[in-house]
Amino acid sequence: MTKIQKALRAIVSDKQLLFGLIGIAVLLLIILFQDVLETHDPYDYGPDSLAAPGINGHLLGTNKLGQDVYSMLIAGVSTSLKVALISSLISALIGILLGGAAGFLGGKVDMVLSELINVFMMIPTFFLELMIIAMFGNSITNVMIVIGLTSWASNAKLMRAQALSLRERTFVKSAIVMGETRPQILFNYIIPNGIFPVIANTTMGMSGAILTEASLSFLGLGDVNVISWGQMIYDGKSYITSAWWIATFAGIAIVLTVITFYMLGDGLNHVLNPKHISGGKK
Amino acid sequence: MSDKNTPFLTIDHITKWYPHNDGRIHLFRSREKRSWVKAVDDVSLTMNRGEVLGIIGESGCGKSTLGRILVRLESPTSGDVLLGGRSTAQMLREDRKAFRKRVQIVFQNPFDTFTPRDTIQKILMRPLRNYGIGASDEERLAMCREALEAGGLHPTDEILKRYPHELSGGQLQRISIIRSMFFKPDLIIADEPVSMLDVSVRADIINMLLDLAKKNNTAVIFISHDIALTRYISDHIAVMYLGRVVEYGRTDDVIAGPRHPYTRVLISHCADVDPDQARDSLPITGEPPTPINPGPGCYFAPRCFMACEGCRAAYPGRVELENGHYVCCSCIREE
Repeated sequence: MTKIQKALRAIVSDKQLLFGLIGIAVLLLIILFQDVLETHDPYDYGPDSLAAPGINGHLLGTNKLGQDVYSMLIAGVSTSLKVALISSLISALIGILLGGAAGFLGGKVDMVLSELINVFMMIPTFFLELMIIAMFGNSITNVMIVIGLTSWASNAKLMRAQALSLRERTFVKSAIVMGETRPQILFNYIIPNGIFPVIANTTMGMSGAILTEASLSFLGLGDVNVISWGQMIYDGKSYITSAWWIATFAGIAIVLTVITFYMLGDGLNHVLNPKHISGGKK
Repeated sequence: MSDKNTPFLTIDHITKWYPHNDGRIHLFRSREKRSWVKAVDDVSLTMNRGEVLGIIGESGCGKSTLGRILVRLESPTSGDVLLGGRSTAQMLREDRKAFRKRVQIVFQNPFDTFTPRDTIQKILMRPLRNYGIGASDEERLAMCREALEAGGLHPTDEILKRYPHELSGGQLQRISIIRSMFFKPDLIIADEPVSMLDVSVRADIINMLLDLAKKNNTAVIFISHDIALTRYISDHIAVMYLGRVVEYGRTDDVIAGPRHPYTRVLISHCADVDPDQARDSLPITGEPPTPINPGPGCYFAPRCFMACEGCRAAYPGRVELENGHYVCCSCIREE
């Protein structure tokens, strides 16, 4: 009971978190009521090609194939959220495991893993993503996996720093003395106590994932069978002077969603900060 | 497994040096030329089963480092600890879990001894499950309840559901002792277990530790800077100064007839129950020196009121007195 109250107070006290949570709730509601909100089937090629907003019941107009832009935007929400969630889940998982192991185990393991982290921080990830997608095909699954595999380094760095300080704490020492194995300590003590900055960072990383997916689609490497905002901008860019509505609204949708995730991540970062938890003011 | 002649615990010339960073580059310098922090320097002690050994000394004298070496949270630079005649370094290599079960430690800070994310139930059940103590989870839970009840922590159901930050330091330290005692260890190290607690609960915690130790025939090494407390509970006392044991003997011998000037100063400054008792406190001057490359000569000589020329030449050897009482001081003659 008190825990729920505490959580509520934390949410209300942080404007960014509140904004982020409301934004996520709206996005989830859109996905939930997708069928009701869509005025047309977004995959349906209608008779009206390049209709301006408002014509023939097309709220935001149509594209060159006669698809309803408004309905496509609604359908794009689930694509963006799916990409954001799954790719950042992959990146968080790899980051937490490798970073935690590096920081906690130390020594040679740390040396090797740290260098690996540095390599992944330095290589131009977008170029790598382009190469992999070009080589393995541009399905939405590939896009999600590739974004996850190239964005874990910052999570690993954060987790490693956490593990480095946590392993000196008395409760880790006492766990060693109680005969617990190193994997047990890593999963029972290091990760649960050091995960909060990673959660916040991952949430912020979700906005990056949405942008990356959009960029890949914009370069024509997105999944053509799935409606995504990036794909819409790619399609609309050649009509930007004659039918501005195709690309513009998709762009606005991306901006709003990215801001939402960024706010959520930044808000979580403030609220999950140990200093904040202990009741002190920022 | 140990015969009469081998003591239960032998601390055999334990040394722990940490490299000291003095801002110079040491790439090509030999081990001898580098500066070292000699946290523990050639400490040898023995003790028997079921005894209580008190280790006293000022802060930074290496007593906690010694404790951590004994439980093998740190490995010594040289020397070894023998438990029942067997090397603990070897025991740890052969069977880590079995060694951990035999040697336990109670830490100074009870507020950080448990992970803040788990309930007391989880914290207590984990080692039991890990070592297969108790046949089923119900039985283990019953063991936890029983131990908490015996340790004066009730209502037990309420305590088990709580998180560490919802309990007081005294309660947490009791739980820490209970958890260590689940293993019925042969040796338990108490590293200033009550120094962070309220004075009102200190006696209870100490009594609980000693009762449990007696019941399981556990040897206790009690590390403290509180001479009055150590005197009350320990059979033998070792006095440490700058990483070295300067005086060792039966508690009564050391407290009633301290011979080393450092011990004499310590005891003369110790508060007495009777405020009217006439006592002369012995003088001590200067700051405690750093343990970075101390010596040659007696480490205490710069602050010693008895220091003579001979003290600064070489570190004094042991002077044996009666009942195994010994002192490392060059100003004291054997009797």
